[in-house]
Amino acid sequence: MTFVLAMVWRELRATWSRLLFFFLCVAVGVGGIIAIRSLVQNVRIALASEARSLTAGDVYLRSDQPWGEEILDTVLANLAGITDVSVTETVDTVTMARVGADGAAQTKVVEVRAVQDGFPFYGRFVLQSGRDYSSVLLNGRGALVGPEVLTQLGISVGDAILIGNSEFRIRDVIVAEPGRQLGGFSFGPRVLVAYDDLDQTGLLDLAIRAERQVLLKLPEASIDSVVDSLREDLAQTYVNVGSYRRTENRIERHLGRAEDYLSLIGFVILIIGGIGVWSVTRVFVQQRLRSVAVMKCLGATTERILSVYVVQVALLGFSGSLLGAVFAQVGLMSLPDSLVAQAAEATGFGSVSISVTKSAIAQGMVIGIMVSVLFALVPLVDIRNVKPIMLLRSGEKQQLGGFDWLRVTLVGIIAILLVFVASWQADSLKVGGYVVGGLLAVGVVLHFLSRMLVRGLKPIEDARWFPLRHAALNLRRPGNQTRVILLAVGLGSFFIVGIRSVQENLVTAFSLELRDDMPDMFMMDIQEDQVEGVRGILEETSLGQDGNGPVPELLPVLRARVVSVTGPETDIQGREAVRQARLGREYTVTYREHLAANERVIDGRFWDGISARGPEVSIVDDLVERGIQLGDLVTVNVLGREIVAPVTSVRTVDWDDSRAGGFMFVFRPGTFDGAPHSYISFLQGPASREDRGVFQSVVVSRFPNVSVIDGSEVIRNIRRVLEYVAVAITAVGSIAMGVGMLILVGSVAMTKFQRLYESAVFKTLGAKSSGLLVMYVFEYGLLGVIAGIVGSGGALILTWALTREVLEIAWLPVPLTTGMGVVVTAMMVLVVGVISSIDVLRQKPLLTLRAE
Amino acid sequence: MIELHGVSKTVQSGENPLTIVHPLDLEVPRGQLLSIVGPSGSGKSTLLGLIAGLDMPTTGSIVVNGVDITSLNEDGLAEFRGRTVGFVFQFFHLMPSLTAFENILVPLEIIGRSNPHARARSLISEVGLTGRSHHYPSQLSGGEQQRVAIARALANTPAVLLADEPTGNLDSATGRSIIDLLVDVNRRHGTTVVLVTHDNDLAAQTDVTLVMRDGRTEKRQVLPTSSG
Repeated sequence: MTFVLAMVWRELRATWSRLLFFFLCVAVGVGGIIAIRSLVQNVRIALASEARSLTAGDVYLRSDQPWGEEILDTVLANLAGITDVSVTETVDTVTMARVGADGAAQTKVVEVRAVQDGFPFYGRFVLQSGRDYSSVLLNGRGALVGPEVLTQLGISVGDAILIGNSEFRIRDVIVAEPGRQLGGFSFGPRVLVAYDDLDQTGLLDLAIRAERQVLLKLPEASIDSVVDSLREDLAQTYVNVGSYRRTENRIERHLGRAEDYLSLIGFVILIIGGIGVWSVTRVFVQQRLRSVAVMKCLGATTERILSVYVVQVALLGFSGSLLGAVFAQVGLMSLPDSLVAQAAEATGFGSVSISVTKSAIAQGMVIGIMVSVLFALVPLVDIRNVKPIMLLRSGEKQQLGGFDWLRVTLVGIIAILLVFVASWQADSLKVGGYVVGGLLAVGVVLHFLSRMLVRGLKPIEDARWFPLRHAALNLRRPGNQTRVILLAVGLGSFFIVGIRSVQENLVTAFSLELRDDMPDMFMMDIQEDQVEGVRGILEETSLGQDGNGPVPELLPVLRARVVSVTGPETDIQGREAVRQARLGREYTVTYREHLAANERVIDGRFWDGISARGPEVSIVDDLVERGIQLGDLVTVNVLGREIVAPVTSVRTVDWDDSRAGGFMFVFRPGTFDGAPHSYISFLQGPASREDRGVFQSVVVSRFPNVSVIDGSEVIRNIRRVLEYVAVAITAVGSIAMGVGMLILVGSVAMTKFQRLYESAVFKTLGAKSSGLLVMYVFEYGLLGVIAGIVGSGGALILTWALTREVLEIAWLPVPLTTGMGVVVTAMMVLVVGVISSIDVLRQKPLLTLRAE
Repeated sequence: MIELHGVSKTVQSGENPLTIVHPLDLEVPRGQLLSIVGPSGSGKSTLLGLIAGLDMPTTGSIVVNGVDITSLNEDGLAEFRGRTVGFVFQFFHLMPSLTAFENILVPLEIIGRSNPHARARSLISEVGLTGRSHHYPSQLSGGEQQRVAIARALANTPAVLLADEPTGNLDSATGRSIIDLLVDVNRRHGTTVVLVTHDNDLAAQTDVTLVMRDGRTEKRQVLPTSSG
């Protein structure tokens, strides 16, 4: 042990500068893991301390239907005997807010929340004015609004907005609010009004979508029992009962998953760092062959020599991981305060601490050391094959690296361990397997691609021009780092170009959906008695297709829940079975006599309009996968009325063509006679933004309950989200690319001795430094071009596969991004490679030759 | 002390086998100073490597200090070398990352000898390099490096000291001092010494000289034992 530890210390003392790149590679990867994990963990810590403010109460009951007497009685019965109970109600609905005169009004889709005095039981509103929230602010038709309401409607605090036909005066702006769903999709900014005031607008009497909520504040000890008994008593209703703990658990679960998946990104970076470790160790072992032979000659066994280097690698991995923790802390600290504040606000917290957590450091360190040792072991096992006899044969250099069963076995074990680490990080064996398998596949493809391209350089080796010929020869020289550099830099470029290309394909696909004949506006909550009026507006404003086409259709819709599905081979009955069959949500259903333009029957027969056989339903093919079959009887609940209809056809819907929307259930006309229902419409709005605003205002001024949603705004939002995602992934790709560059610099530094000797010989034979410089420019230029082609080529394959197989959109080549990928990668490799080689050119040849 | 029976070494040279050492028998008694001379490529260094257990013979057996080294595996051979054999190379082969003192320390640490520092200090003083003990090999002259190498070879008080052209890379004056050092080791400690050399002066000072040509022992010249 003394020998091993003493040698580790001596070797580290002598070689730490050469192995600097080793721990830089580890540090960057570990830094990524620690930073990402810490960030998400900080949010989780904040969540734990503010859990109740997410629901604003201890227990909640939610329903999309008005509370019946029976339900309210059940609630009260369950609360009997419990002291210190407080109850408050809220209603949420999506509607239009508007300002100004009819026709010239500005409109905006908003999410209205109406609250009673007691709201919120927990958490607090942060208002722009800085004053404390009180329900008094809402008295006399007051409203608190999200900041976007003011900016987008061009109004300020003190002005009035119209909701339905009621006027509300804006009293303040909401900066943060309790009881908000985290991460939920939002149609528009918040407008907070008093409960009774919303009631008076009359909106709730219409068939529009609204979620009602009862919040309870209870003594801690009775929360679970009340939730359990309420759930039991309300099992046959559509009331959703839960406590803040359930919300906490759900969000905790989501955050946990986010933490695991995001950590995988750090893991991937660390794997690329591992390739760097492997590359550095390989060269290191080659430079240590003589020392190994000497130790063997002096009596050291292979096992003890291996121990010296494995301990050395583990120590380097440890130091690299420590440095990674410092990188992570510095990285987190350098996040702009505004970004941290934005993130805290977006997640609904007053403040989120930004510092590395102990558990993230522990995980990062373990993985860092593990990856260092694993990746270094493959080249280190070559030490076994070093023969001490080489010391007697001067000038003989032992070539290592031929086929070796132990090395192959080791690579297999490493792959398994990596799957284990990835699975641990992702908390899923399947995901871990996919990540490692995917990386391996990408690695193999890039490896063969680069081998092919390097082979393609052969004709250049016969070039007459000395610098060009030797540049090509250098790339194919045995023992050089060409393949490792190509793999590492290629992977970095692959990530960046690949993600950029996928993003461009997605944006193009979305843009195509906005093509001339596609609807880009959506109207909902049109009541039966408003159909003629809305149709009239559509006719007046000539909003047919192409400006003169047929007036857009108004589609009748009802909201229905599946109660049961029965048939010869189907038995889905009861709420739990329906939920398990993934049929538990509320569906928007319609009825019509014919198939829509984007539909096709694939099984059964669609009814003809005059059939009088009673209710029939046509289902979309996705539902077959959830267990509904042709001929089954589907029972749905529509506004308390149960309707039974046999499935007489199965349709497939082309979701890209959204002119007629897409419905999971389409019923035969006549099924819902007498039931109150509303209408929706997909239409192509006016071309200019101003005209679209005017159209929205005309509709909403006459029919205040109707919501007119501008699709182009939604698509703009999607684009913005895609851009955020692309920026995030580009950042990851850049770190990967950075590690690739580190590996490049490291490889150049490690092979410097060989280069020094060669350049000394060339100089002795009369080559000038400028000539050698040109040679290096060619060498790294060629290497960069190949790395660029490897990365961009791989990215092309990735984009093609992702768009066609996963995203199911048309694949479009993006020549500019692909081309830029090659050019930028080539330039980076060229500049970094040549700069790293400059001191080789400065060295005097005699010094080098004497040293040899 | 050293017994070779029917020892030969054949390697593959391209498509054809090439015999570097033809079958030979050799006996070196304890305390003898034997030199092996001969032209380049005659198989001298290969024979030395076989005696040190650095390589395996194609045929025959080698017994050193009572141990049949041809029956040992790689690790067994390493341990055998650590305890029994000291080796001096033409190109010194000091470990460049260690100081002169540490180079001498390494074999002592490998076999786990107690108080290695005192032993290393005594050896470095014996070879006259006390003042240079913290210098790295690149900071020492060729002669100094070879002295360190000899001290390293003697660290574990080996029964056998093998030297491959120990003066081959040194000027004649330095070479002479190295010769004196080796002869002194043999005479003072009774260490069996086998050395390969082109140096006639050195060969002239050995007890026995074995001449090799084309892998065969040609002549064995026994010199009168020096009275010292």
